[in-house]
Amino acid sequence: MFENNHLKDPRQSLELLLEEATLMGAKRLIRYPNRKFFGYFCSYFPEELILAAGLEPLRLLPDSENPTPVELPAYCCSLARGTLDMEVREKWSDLVGIGFTHTCDTMQCLSGIWAACGNSKTVDIVPPVMLNAPGASSYYHAELGSLLNELTALTKHEIQNEALRAALVLCANTRKLVTELDALRFNLPSPLIFSLLRAGQLMPRPEYALALENCLPLLKDMAKETHNKANVLVSSAVLENNSLFEMIEELGGRVVADDTCTGYRHYSGVTVSGSENLLLDIVQRYTNMPPCPCKNRSLNERISYLTALAKQRHAQGAIIIVRKYCEPHAWDAVTLSESFRRCGIRTLTLELEGANVGGQERTRLQAFLESLLEGPGL
Amino acid sequence: MQVSQEKRRNYRPLVSSKTLQKTMGRYYALTNYHRYWGKLMRRPLAWVTSGAPVELLRAFNIHSAYPEQYAAIYSARNATVNLCEVAEAAGYSQDLCSYARSNIGGVLRPDLAPLGGMPKPDLLVACNNICGTVLKWYEVLARHFDVPLLVLDTPFLTGELTTQAKEYVLEQLNAMVTDLEKITHRRLDEKKLAQQMSLSREITSLWIETRQYCRASPSPLNAPDLFINMAPIVVLRGSHEGINFYRKLRDEVKERVDLAQGAIENERIRLVWDNIAIWPQLFSFYKMFSEKGACFVTDTYSGGWAVEQAPGTPLESLAATYTEVFLNRSPKYRANQLINLIKEFKADGFVMHSNRSCKPYSLVQEVIRKEVIHETGVPGLMIEADMADPRAYAEEPVRNRVQAFLETFDDL
Amino acid sequence: MTKYFVGVDIGSLTVKVVLINDGLEILGQLKTRAGYSGKDVATRLKEQLLAESCLTPQRISATVATGYGRVTFPADREVSEITCQAKGISHLFPSSRTIIDIGGQDSKVIKLLPNGRVGDFTMNDKCAAGTGRFLEVMASALEVEWPEIGELVSSSKNPTKISSFCTVFAESEIISQVSAGALKSDILAGVCDSVASRVASMTRRTGLEKDIVFTGGVALNRGVVNALTKQLGYPLLVFQEPVITAALGAALLAREIHKSSI
Repeated sequence: MFENNHLKDPRQSLELLLEEATLMGAKRLIRYPNRKFFGYFCSYFPEELILAAGLEPLRLLPDSENPTPVELPAYCCSLARGTLDMEVREKWSDLVGIGFTHTCDTMQCLSGIWAACGNSKTVDIVPPVMLNAPGASSYYHAELGSLLNELTALTKHEIQNEALRAALVLCANTRKLVTELDALRFNLPSPLIFSLLRAGQLMPRPEYALALENCLPLLKDMAKETHNKANVLVSSAVLENNSLFEMIEELGGRVVADDTCTGYRHYSGVTVSGSENLLLDIVQRYTNMPPCPCKNRSLNERISYLTALAKQRHAQGAIIIVRKYCEPHAWDAVTLSESFRRCGIRTLTLELEGANVGGQERTRLQAFLESLLEGPGL
Repeated sequence: MQVSQEKRRNYRPLVSSKTLQKTMGRYYALTNYHRYWGKLMRRPLAWVTSGAPVELLRAFNIHSAYPEQYAAIYSARNATVNLCEVAEAAGYSQDLCSYARSNIGGVLRPDLAPLGGMPKPDLLVACNNICGTVLKWYEVLARHFDVPLLVLDTPFLTGELTTQAKEYVLEQLNAMVTDLEKITHRRLDEKKLAQQMSLSREITSLWIETRQYCRASPSPLNAPDLFINMAPIVVLRGSHEGINFYRKLRDEVKERVDLAQGAIENERIRLVWDNIAIWPQLFSFYKMFSEKGACFVTDTYSGGWAVEQAPGTPLESLAATYTEVFLNRSPKYRANQLINLIKEFKADGFVMHSNRSCKPYSLVQEVIRKEVIHETGVPGLMIEADMADPRAYAEEPVRNRVQAFLETFDDL
Repeated sequence: MTKYFVGVDIGSLTVKVVLINDGLEILGQLKTRAGYSGKDVATRLKEQLLAESCLTPQRISATVATGYGRVTFPADREVSEITCQAKGISHLFPSSRTIIDIGGQDSKVIKLLPNGRVGDFTMNDKCAAGTGRFLEVMASALEVEWPEIGELVSSSKNPTKISSFCTVFAESEIISQVSAGALKSDILAGVCDSVASRVASMTRRTGLEKDIVFTGGVALNRGVVNALTKQLGYPLLVFQEPVITAALGAALLAREIHKSSI
């Protein structure tokens, strides 16, 4: 019922997406027995090439909070520790391969560690860090060419131009649908939105696009309620569950602007098409998408972009999440909160071990949201 | 690096250390008084990362200062905690690199920094061949000082250097030349660059030669010697003063070998060191080894500057040399490097410093440790500490581990 | 008829309950160890307080809960202890602009606006250094009872230095200081300095504005009060019962919430 589901019922489609977001790919072999999955890290790993190779992209997310694989020291983020631990526990053994993107130092190291201690085949792409540097585009283009060759070697199938074109169209369509979803944020519960965004990184993409398209009218109907919640922007690295968003919502907040690795940032930016050489379109897309803190398009671009986004979405506050030991986000947190504060947007920087929030976080979030919300005596 | 004089028992002091102090003293004085002579001599001051292509900067007559090296001095002079606390109060997480934190602390509160902190830069040059942290760190500095930031993006090498990576770096170097021409109002003098390249080759070959003498038993140098004597190759690469110093050091080390004089008395155990020095404990930490007759005969850290230039035109050579540095390469490459050092220097074991501040150096160490033990059969110890922040150093647990490790050589 | 309001603060180490009336008088207060179930302890404590004041539960117009256990406690409203602390302190000290609160699990610096609302706040990060818990762990490693700390510290002439930022490391560090023969009082003074310097560094994030009020359980510890005063270079105001200020704030909020609902 999952594969090539031609469910027209919007409610069933919505349920499917919410389930997939929670499963994080755990039932992929039962639900999609005829598909081959390819694991990847980071939004800079071009999904288009995975799809063109006839594989289903699966973003690797940890299934536990504090695992300690011996290969990594304790001062390493729980995303790296958790996913590597799952490799050791053979949770990824069905994957055709695992793709690593050079983004942060940890991801760079994780690829080599994985190759040394795991059984999965690893594939690397090293995009430029300075996306607008002279020579960056042609270098990126050549890297995509190398990746294409590696994927071809992995599947032993020539990747046809037609397949690549179809993948580009699918990704473009998905991003268009997701952008419609992002526009409904004001009037829909934040955990719901984040689940739907996460599902699109965890389940087969054609099924995702279809299901999302099916349930969008329903979501638009649901999005009629008005509210007096505090509007916030959230910036974060990967968040593998809704724990944070549920707490924000419960305490009277609503995420109106999303800069999270597993949220809207994954899809944001324009899709480019029309080049003779399809790889050039892909280079353009990944070069121009709103950057994560590991990438640089110009000195202040990320900061200005997020400040403008917060203002445009009328965010009253900004919550900057730093996952323990995630350096790039910790670095930007300082400049980002200064920039927000200059614009009169209150900022809370919150350190999280994993994606789950507990009592400590509740106190901070509640006090922060109380200070944003008008209420008796608060 | 200059380090507070602690008693060095069981330690043979180097005669050339006077020259080292003079050479480095002159460099710091020159650097710290840059504001008086920089404009006059039309020599801008650049803050650069330790892996930046300084030959090119020197060809433009730019004076370079190294925040990482200053941070090591801050640490050896016990100023790191205060400076880090300043940065932490400004919002920088205590999990960020301690070099970066103490440098930022020194920028915000120069009065708390040894040497009065660093002189203000006219430009910043960062190369991400050593880590991604330098980019974020230098972005902060660029915003603070409002000066140009030139970045050389050297793609991480999962295998060998690819044509595309080399061309990309080369193209950036060409652009950097244009940027530097604009900043200095000078044209690139090709002859001067060639001369810088050749001076750099010379100083590097002296450093390589000096290190090679440590294959002798007993080894003429121990790790703290290597760490202290690496200062000029980092900050005075391509200078005549630097070359003169390394000639003296080379001669002295050669003489030690001829006389069979070891850096420590009764060398019994030969070890290889992996990772940046533990600056705040430089002597007390290594003393735990030297007093048991264990000598670090070579290391991967100060060895990072003992790499010959790649062939090609000056810019091609810079592109390849700076992209191929060991920290920019796979654990496989790094393991082989360590295996070769152990064989070449006839080491009995190795010690890895799991350095909280330096993820690219440290995260891969456990995998490398296994591989090296498997390939060489020698034992390898892992110590968790930090290169500059003493707050991350737990003395008792470290002492226990070191003792247990050294006891394994006595068949206890 | 007089109206009564209750504030309940269920902290990680202690539970505090405060009863006030419409005229903002504090009629009673109780505190005890939180133990395993802070919620049950708080329920009992509230009952006890009402019994002592000869009030039936029906006479209480509103109750506000705060602190770690606030979520599960049956109250009219749960409010974070930052907001409650601001309420309580600005009531007690109208001139206060900065609150330093060191509790069992958290330490906070709260910046108050002139109208008594929260302007900004900062809290310790995940680790326990700079909290009451840190003091407690170190004191127990030295086999010193909590109330003795102040006196012992005041006798110290040469405080040792705790250099580790991690609680576990710091514990092993003081154990080595003990075996090296350092005096208990000197080590404890070092521990107090370390807590104070943590918190002083947090004040730099929010900015420090007079008057400064020091509250929370650790404000009873003279060792930390003195160390903090020295490090900040400002006098600190301390309420005679610093542990109950958040519960008081909760009671005051209960009154305001009740008023706005009718």
